[in-house]
Amino acid sequence: MTELLEAFNTFTHTEIGAIIWLIIRIFAIMVPVLLGVAYLIYAERKVLAAMQLRMGPNVVGPFGLFQPFADALKLMGKETIIPTGANKLIFMAAPMLTFFLSLVSWAVIPFSDKLVLADVNVGILYLFAVSSLAVYGIIMAGWASNSKYAFLGGLRSAAQMVSYEVSIGLVIINVLLLAGSLNLSDIVRGQTNMWYAIPLFPMFIVFFISGLAETNRAPFDLPEGESELVGGFNVEYSSMSFALFFLGEYANMILMSAMTVILFLGGWLAPFNWQSPFEWLAPLWGILWFTGKICFMLFMFLWVRATLPRYRYDQLMRLGWKVFLPFSLLYVIGVAGYLVYTGNFPKVGV
Amino acid sequence: MLCFLYSRIRFSVTRNTHAIIEDTSLLMPKLKINDIELEVAPGTSVLQACEQLGIEVPRFCYHDKLSVPANCRMCLVEVEKTPKPQASCALPCGEGMVVKTNTPVVTRARKNVMEMLLINHPLDCPICDQGGECDLQDQAVAYGFDRGRYAEAKRAVKDKELGPLVKTVMTRCIHCTRCVRFADEIAGMPELGAFGRSEHMEIGTYIEKAVSSELSGNLVDVCPVGALTNKPYAFEARPWELSKTETIDVLDAVGSNIRVDARGQEVMRVLPRLHEDVNEEWINDKTRYACDGLKRQRLDKPYIRDVDGKLKPANWGEAFAAIARQIKGLPGEAIAAIAGNLADAESMFALKQLMQYLKSPNMDCRQDGALYDVSQRAGYTFNTTISGIEKADVILLVGTNPRLEASLINARIRKRWLRGGLKVGVISEQADLTYPTKYLGANPLVLDEVLQGRNAFCDLLKNAKNPMIIVGAGALARKDGLFIQYRVRKIAETYNMVRDGWNGFNVLQTSAARVAGLDMSFVPGQNGKSTNDIIAAAQNGKIGLLYLLGADEIDTSKLGSTFVVYQGHHGDAGANRADVILPGSAYTEKNALYMNTEGRLQSTRRAVFPPGEAKEDWQIIRALSEVLGQALPYDTLAQLRQKMVQSHALFARLDHVEPAPWNSFARDGVLDPAPLQSSISNFYQTDVISRSSPTMAACVETFLKSSVAEAAE
Amino acid sequence: MSMFHSVKRFLLIDIIKGMALTLSYMFRRRVTINYPFEKGPIGPRFRGEHALRRYPNGEERCIACKLCEAICPAQAITIEAEPREDGSRRTTRYDIDMIKCIYCGLCQEACPVDAIVEGPNFEYATLTREELYYNKDKLLANGDRWEPEIAANLAKEAPYR
Repeated sequence: MTELLEAFNTFTHTEIGAIIWLIIRIFAIMVPVLLGVAYLIYAERKVLAAMQLRMGPNVVGPFGLFQPFADALKLMGKETIIPTGANKLIFMAAPMLTFFLSLVSWAVIPFSDKLVLADVNVGILYLFAVSSLAVYGIIMAGWASNSKYAFLGGLRSAAQMVSYEVSIGLVIINVLLLAGSLNLSDIVRGQTNMWYAIPLFPMFIVFFISGLAETNRAPFDLPEGESELVGGFNVEYSSMSFALFFLGEYANMILMSAMTVILFLGGWLAPFNWQSPFEWLAPLWGILWFTGKICFMLFMFLWVRATLPRYRYDQLMRLGWKVFLPFSLLYVIGVAGYLVYTGNFPKVGV
Repeated sequence: MLCFLYSRIRFSVTRNTHAIIEDTSLLMPKLKINDIELEVAPGTSVLQACEQLGIEVPRFCYHDKLSVPANCRMCLVEVEKTPKPQASCALPCGEGMVVKTNTPVVTRARKNVMEMLLINHPLDCPICDQGGECDLQDQAVAYGFDRGRYAEAKRAVKDKELGPLVKTVMTRCIHCTRCVRFADEIAGMPELGAFGRSEHMEIGTYIEKAVSSELSGNLVDVCPVGALTNKPYAFEARPWELSKTETIDVLDAVGSNIRVDARGQEVMRVLPRLHEDVNEEWINDKTRYACDGLKRQRLDKPYIRDVDGKLKPANWGEAFAAIARQIKGLPGEAIAAIAGNLADAESMFALKQLMQYLKSPNMDCRQDGALYDVSQRAGYTFNTTISGIEKADVILLVGTNPRLEASLINARIRKRWLRGGLKVGVISEQADLTYPTKYLGANPLVLDEVLQGRNAFCDLLKNAKNPMIIVGAGALARKDGLFIQYRVRKIAETYNMVRDGWNGFNVLQTSAARVAGLDMSFVPGQNGKSTNDIIAAAQNGKIGLLYLLGADEIDTSKLGSTFVVYQGHHGDAGANRADVILPGSAYTEKNALYMNTEGRLQSTRRAVFPPGEAKEDWQIIRALSEVLGQALPYDTLAQLRQKMVQSHALFARLDHVEPAPWNSFARDGVLDPAPLQSSISNFYQTDVISRSSPTMAACVETFLKSSVAEAAE
Repeated sequence: MSMFHSVKRFLLIDIIKGMALTLSYMFRRRVTINYPFEKGPIGPRFRGEHALRRYPNGEERCIACKLCEAICPAQAITIEAEPREDGSRRTTRYDIDMIKCIYCGLCQEACPVDAIVEGPNFEYATLTREELYYNKDKLLANGDRWEPEIAANLAKEAPYR
């Protein structure tokens, strides 16, 4: 056993071995995420159906469990249509970019203690930067489609994401002030005694709502706006290019949930420092809690969608700039003041 | 039911008063109806006065062309100083009368009458052909009770067999006796009557027999309920699905005003339209029932006779090309055209111009071969006009049976006779004309007797105020037609029939196309051949191309090997003989002008489109002229009519009779002693349309063959 | 806006109420039925597939009065009629274009003899349009097939007519 482990260690320390190991680890993250996306779609349909007294998918496989694969097959079987007036290169690049960006963020997410692909010190900045880039995919799609609906959808999306990133940033500052670190694992460890959701509860709510807006989810799904924009930025997309947008959007949802969990709900930590009751469960304990919390957050996403009607565009902008921004700013001042007062303000250069 | 008994007593009374009223002084009674004061002509009934004011008075038995029996009691009105409501149709207006038509008493009275009428009337509107155009149905909406209070058994009446034209459902009869009065007064067939009384009253012929009148179809129109309905049309359509087109009839030369009811592209029925100067409210049975002939035997695409002698379907281009091939190099004298009885003025005009372009003088619109003088319009029209008959007091019929040739002119004569003081003399075969006549024999030499004053009838003519002579087309189509025409003119002149304000010289044409054809001189030009000459020349091979414009009544077996072009709408004699057939349209399928026997210009209107590839007739000739390199100078019907009016001013005014100037015409000659007779023996089948009609065939079977059988017994 | 309302709004009370409502719905009984195997109830006035009825002795009821054709707002009915051999008034053609039909039920209202009815059947979808051009035979066959249900429905409705 130990020999095998040693052989493995030596292999991963060779140049080629390191790359192969890296690729294996990347796949170990990507495949569950994509599966998660598939079943998130299934779950969304089921939850929405349940809240509307319907059944949801129940025909393909037991309880309709194979529905996501049927959908994927269907989308793959369709013809890719590129509008004549479209800028082909950008048109095709946009969904790829969206999908790509929704996956690269996962590199810095700690699934459990030490279980992270890249435990960088500026993890939160990296996340923030990558999620800001996501707007490019959408604005490219909107522009390249050469369609007025797609264009309007793209513009709305850009404006919306940019607006809410500001309040998200301020909310994150609150967390950073408490944690005193930009490393995501450190932020989680900082919550061992108390999840940040408790002292920062209002910020947790603002972050969640901003997350809805950031991921273009109901009630802030204006870029899609079926009723007024016929589907928004992705109106001209079909087949796999559409599927990539779709996957990207749902992967972003999961990512946003993961961020919420890490920043506010103690990441992989079980509540009240509850330790695994079984020996064999211990290695999975963290991942289990982390996944469970993500699932809860995703359920919140779906629940909100099932409940609230779509915001008007001006209401959306008003909420972002006139409510969340000053509120979170005040809260930053409050938290910082409290920390300075108690002498817990993090020192520069730690 | 008592009212029926009561009315039967009144029946005779009102008839007498009617006559008296006409002679009363010219005092114009003044009366008040619903507080509106008005002055009416003496003898006007209250109902008519109400109509003048536009006040609607419901009625079943009253009909303005029939006598007044006042037996339905529906027209009750309240008159001041009378204890009970009065029947307005039989109440003459009196000085100072105060009439009310909208009081509760009137409404209640009418409601009661309605309830009585509906006691025995079955509730079978859904299966009744009158449903949707039924007086009883309409008035039940206004005056009907919403439920029946009559719990006893309703009566049922056995249906009467009235022949192939009129279907009876006698249970529906409300005993208004309109049919009895129509048959008695207008049609002159007193067979129809009412027998039994009150509950047991029935309308019928007593001895079961078909109603043999050429006007029997009008029974259907006068019947206010569904007791008498149109038999061939039974159950076929509902009034609300029909598109109605007001047009005229061309199956005889009267030009009756009709309404053609079509469903989709199918003519379902023909109804009369009111025209006081032509047909009043009536039409004859051929006009009404021959419309099913429009669906049968139709030519719907061009045909060309191929080398085996068989007619093969072709397209228009091929048909025109075949004619052009034949006509190439033919001299004008070798081309001839004959127009038939149903040809419209526009197509005859176009064909005449085409013949002139082709330099042919050989054309004729008289396919019966008549050769009388047509240089003067007065010499071939019905100069007195049809409404003028009502002023005549002596009528001499020469070689005509107006009952068969123009039933509505006969009905006019009968109407005149009913008023009293009319004497009619007949020089023709003997026939029942529905009024008494003085028979002078059938020998044309009687004309000479009359002319020289040697006949007993001469005294009547001499003493008459407004004498008329009507000569039939049959008499003029004889070889000696010209001389007969001369003698008739002489008689007219001798007996002062032609003077200012009165022209008693009449030719009774039988073909709708004839007067228009003669008016535009569709007759042989300089050195041209007439119908008989054309046929003779064709037999001798001297005609290269013969153009038949709907001419079926010529002897087509005698055309030799001539190349025959037939343009028409039915596959009849002409089409059988033709080498090229050009499918035209019937009178219900085109907007076309016709001149009736009076010289009254009337227009048909398109009710349906011609079948298949068939076209309007003038368009065919116009298209052909282009293929022949002789394009006619008009592209639209309006342009054609303009050209026609330019050359013949008579075609300018619709529905107007231009009195023809009187000039001498015809010349003397030796008469053929063969007896004079009508040109029509079979009233029901005179043209391609009626020959194709199964209903007309059934009429021939019932009325003509059975009467022959009866005579043989 | 009063203080109370501001606070209520700030604390997202209404949104929480709404979310509680949707959540409670999640645990209610589903209304979906497993359609081809389970069916919802239909009323006696249900206006489904048309049928032409017969009298108990087998005689067709329709008398070709054409009232249904006249009332039909979609002009989906085409009728042609002529006297039958026994002289009675019958249709030779009774077509309903089920694609034009808007299932308003005016034809059965207009029918004086309860001949044309809209029966309880709604499962007659077809693969081609042609199959939805119903002729007289098809309608009479429908009538024969659904007569017990139609008669029961008409009897139920009789007191209200």
